[in-house]
Amino acid sequence: MSNYRILNTRARRVDAVDKITGRAMYTDDFQRPNMLYAALLHSPLAHARILNIDTSRAEALPGVKAVVTWREAGTVPYGVSPARYDETIFCYDKVRYVGDEIAAVAASDLDTALEAINLIKVNFEELPLVLDGLTAMNDGQPRLHDQYKNNMCAEVHWHFGDIEQGRRESHIIRTDKLTSKMQDGAFMEPQSVLAEVDAQGDLIMYSSTQAPHYVQRTLAMALQMPLHKVRVIKPAVGGGFGPKASCSTAELATCLLAMKTGRPVKITFDREQVFLHSRARHQFFHTMTTGIKKDGTLSFLDHHCILDGGAYASFGIATIYYAGSLLGGPYRLKNMKYDGYRVVTNKPACGAQRGHGAVIARALFEVQLDRLAEELGLDPIELRLKNVMEAGETTCNELFVSSFGMREALEAVRDSAAWQTKRERAGKTHRNGKGIGAACGFFVSGAGYSIYRSRTYHCTVITKVDEVGGGVLVQSGAADIGQGSDTVLAMITAEELGITLDDVRVVSGDSKLSVDLGAYSSRTTLMTGHACREAAQDVKRQILSAIAALLSVPPETLDLKDGFLVSLAGPLDISELRREYLREHLGFTDLPEGPQLTFAEAGRIAFLELGAIVGTGKYKPPPLGGSFKGAAVGTSPAFGCSAQVAEVTVDLETGRVTVDKITGAHDCGFAINRTQVEGQMQGSMMMGMGEALMEQIQYDTKGRIVNANLAEYKIPTALDMPHLEAIIVESHEPHGPYGAKEVGEGAIMPVIPSILNAIYDATGVRIDELPITPERVVAALRTGGK
Amino acid sequence: MILPRFDVLTPATVTEACALLAAHTAAGVRILAGGTDLLVELRRPIIPQHVPRCDGCPTHPEGAVFSTIDCTMWNSEPLMAAGGSVRAAVKPPAFLLSLHKLRDLRGLQKRTDGSLRVGACTTITDIERSRDIREGWTALAEGADNLGSPLVRNRGTVGGNIANARPAADTAVPTIALRATLVLRSTSGIRTIAAADFPTGPGKTIINPGEILTYIEYPAPAKYSGSAYHKLANRKALEISTVGVAVYLALETPGGPVADVSVALGAVGPKPLAAASVGPVLLGRIPDETAINDAARAAMEDARPIDDHRGSAWYRLQMVEVLTRRLLKTALARAEGKK
Ligand SMILES: Cc1cc2nc3c(=O)[nH]c(=O)nc-3n(C[C@H](O)[C@H](O)[C@H](O)COP(=O)(O)OP(=O)(O)OC[C@H]3O[C@@H](n4cnc5c(N)ncnc54)[C@H](O)[C@@H]3O)c2cc1C
Repeated sequence: MSNYRILNTRARRVDAVDKITGRAMYTDDFQRPNMLYAALLHSPLAHARILNIDTSRAEALPGVKAVVTWREAGTVPYGVSPARYDETIFCYDKVRYVGDEIAAVAASDLDTALEAINLIKVNFEELPLVLDGLTAMNDGQPRLHDQYKNNMCAEVHWHFGDIEQGRRESHIIRTDKLTSKMQDGAFMEPQSVLAEVDAQGDLIMYSSTQAPHYVQRTLAMALQMPLHKVRVIKPAVGGGFGPKASCSTAELATCLLAMKTGRPVKITFDREQVFLHSRARHQFFHTMTTGIKKDGTLSFLDHHCILDGGAYASFGIATIYYAGSLLGGPYRLKNMKYDGYRVVTNKPACGAQRGHGAVIARALFEVQLDRLAEELGLDPIELRLKNVMEAGETTCNELFVSSFGMREALEAVRDSAAWQTKRERAGKTHRNGKGIGAACGFFVSGAGYSIYRSRTYHCTVITKVDEVGGGVLVQSGAADIGQGSDTVLAMITAEELGITLDDVRVVSGDSKLSVDLGAYSSRTTLMTGHACREAAQDVKRQILSAIAALLSVPPETLDLKDGFLVSLAGPLDISELRREYLREHLGFTDLPEGPQLTFAEAGRIAFLELGAIVGTGKYKPPPLGGSFKGAAVGTSPAFGCSAQVAEVTVDLETGRVTVDKITGAHDCGFAINRTQVEGQMQGSMMMGMGEALMEQIQYDTKGRIVNANLAEYKIPTALDMPHLEAIIVESHEPHGPYGAKEVGEGAIMPVIPSILNAIYDATGVRIDELPITPERVVAALRTGGK
Repeated sequence: MILPRFDVLTPATVTEACALLAAHTAAGVRILAGGTDLLVELRRPIIPQHVPRCDGCPTHPEGAVFSTIDCTMWNSEPLMAAGGSVRAAVKPPAFLLSLHKLRDLRGLQKRTDGSLRVGACTTITDIERSRDIREGWTALAEGADNLGSPLVRNRGTVGGNIANARPAADTAVPTIALRATLVLRSTSGIRTIAAADFPTGPGKTIINPGEILTYIEYPAPAKYSGSAYHKLANRKALEISTVGVAVYLALETPGGPVADVSVALGAVGPKPLAAASVGPVLLGRIPDETAINDAARAAMEDARPIDDHRGSAWYRLQMVEVLTRRLLKTALARAEGKK
């Protein structure tokens, strides 16, 4: 039981009422006088040289205010990782995927803008396509970018420990493969951007982004503006999951059009454009060879992976590193080799998506553990328990886990799902279509380093007490994209200042307010949480010192609790301060009474003494990780871990898989808000289930997406959702605020493998290609599943 | 979803509707029922259709120049599935003729001979909720149960589903199995046609410009009969079936030989198909395990599936056998009063 009043409760989200009543303002809800509508010209071809772009007919269309191409936009390269800037605002020499942006139009209404797009004439010379990630790097393949020889965008070669030694120690060695398909983030709100230039010449952009700070930098760089003249504001956002974490052409082009026309310009993606833009999960081709000793301890992992990243680098450099590094945990693994290859192909660029880089790798590794357990005759959970790391250990790739509830999580799901009984029951009727499977996961709690090289603080928070007393305003650049970070900041502030959630207002997601690297890598609760706590404590210190001076008591004897200033050392005489406060409020009713100063009085009087009471907080992780190349990716001040058990029913004739139940346990260190932690876990289960069973972007032979909509790109519906049980494990992370660490992404890790393992239990066949469609199940059943 | 511009005609009677339809045929008119197919079809493409190779048409005398616009001559490339982002803009009709005021066309009428007349504008939800249909024409009710989502079912109509003529249409397949007759009306009168003969290919039917589908007439079920429909898909709602099968089975007496059987297949051919091979295998036989297995295998002979993004021809063919077998058993149980 905690001693907190607000933390660790199920406090209602601060944005709940706005969102359910429709009052919350998303980017597309904003209108401006004289606003123009933008449209983009997307390439219809997957790979072609641009011979000529003729915009004259579009420009002549009445209502069109501006048409821009690379000629207006310039060709400053940008991207996500500075080492791989390979995009320009518009294509100028080549188009590299169906959807690549060639031009943009601003017009007085959307119809006109779209019509103008149709009037832009582009002459192309078609080039041969590279659509297959597996062969993209072969000699003789057409090349997408001059800078990527053999279409190789990035390679990683790691060897930790000694896998040859590991091999020698192994009793059983297995090699297995798993392939996935490109996916879509399938967030609710399609990207939307509204840009305007104010009278001072500042560029202000509202965008449904996850990372205002990085977007601000990219806008300034690619549009060649001073950074302080660019402001990025994130209104309410309907989900991101990664694809909204990088700056896009839609953002850049809309700004350019606003700068060119001097008028506000808006664009909102159609759902199809969400698919075209993508920047979602890569396609992975994993091969793993894993060895295990007779007693069930893991001896080595030799991991080979090809990532098909689509046309541009985007987040791909981080992706390829994460795909390797996050297998360092949650099991003791001394010897690990990783060879990763990220190739470019003529498909929409892939980027980060929930569980960045690590999801499919995790799936295969956990499937391998089950296979090894079976060969050894061990229970799969037993095998895992034998190998799990404990707090205080460091992985072979130098990731230090300061708190680790892995064992507890695994035991929790085992017991809660009645694993033993169900396995035994399944044992008798094995392979009758009912199955149960388990898996674990491991994830960072905030990237240890910013994307660009810098000593920057990862976030700052500025908290101010209303001069009138009573209310508190928290200002942060953090991006609440639906995950609930504003609520976390409000709860921390209310807790520290001894006030109610309703006394706190949070304004966030604005690059002018404070720096914050954004909503990615499951970082906000830990990092911005630290900064928020520090700012609140700063405020508290100022209030207490002002009052202590007036009352001539040591500040250490005062505290803020339950809405009052309280004394820890006997009663205080507050009558003079009370009198002053009452004198200021003649005519007011409902004035404070009783022996204690209220928070409102204390705040007001502190202001009268000191001026504005403003507290600040900041956070950046300590230096982390090893010194090998790429050691920075995968580092984190803390690591989350999780375990899940999935129960499935497989129709052995049609191959249709029904997930009956998922029991999950996640170690989030400390649950700031229990309902939100469970919400992230349930959301992860739903998303992981979709990725396991349904989700795949499908292309035709010309690189065009054939299912660029939510009717044909399947995610689970409410009816498909099984019973979900979410168990919170709290290991009290020493590096997290109040012991808190991540839950946003880690909880997705075990979903796919637990389902894969359950399907094997139900059918006796292994599926090595995701998603596990009914057809793939039937094919595996008919061929005996190798 | 952005729609092109059009005007909407709203006739108050079927006669007026036929007249308006005839009067606007030249200008371009489409019938609008629930709009859940039509409006999706009419939405603007995000990427203008690319003209891949235009060798010396009048607009592009320069030959091998590639252009995103202008070439109206070119039309040879197979179009993308409706989900594709690059697709030809459907030439928007100048008019949509809305049926929403035609009250006569919405609702069910059970007739004295035991048959059922369903207005073309009856919503899928109405069908789903009808007791009569669930009891007498169960396959149709099960088709309605599985169509889209509640939102789509509230707007979509059975007439629209049939007239749209998609091979997977969830009420069209049972309608064929239940041997319904379609009633078409135009200024020149009324004609009727068997549901199985109505579609001619994907999105194509024998309907003439100026004709409206007004009613669907389902014959009375035989005394010892039952029907069933199953849609195979990868999630529980909002799905277009990978394979859909509907079965109608009648017995001479409970426990007796098969008096009548009719099977229709969805999503395994260019249109919903009547599986004609099943009848000869099953008629007159006691529907035991062997007979049903034979019949299910026979159904495979009628399927003409293709590979597409929803499934391979191979898988579809296997599933025709599985579903037909299972549905024959369900229909049999129902025919024997076992539900
Ligand atoms: C999200 C979504 C999910 C869907 N899921 C399914 C599904 O699971 N299964 C399925 O089968 N369908 C599905 N559909 C398709 C559609 O909802 C159904 O086919 C529906 O029954 C169509 O009816 P409607 O009244 O909306 O037709 P409309 O869109 O109004 O019309 C469809 C076509 O039929 C013509 N038409 C309509 N009524 C008549 C008439 N009386 N006489 C002559 N021509 C007529 C129209 O001109 C048009 O060409 C789905 C659609 C959507 C948008």
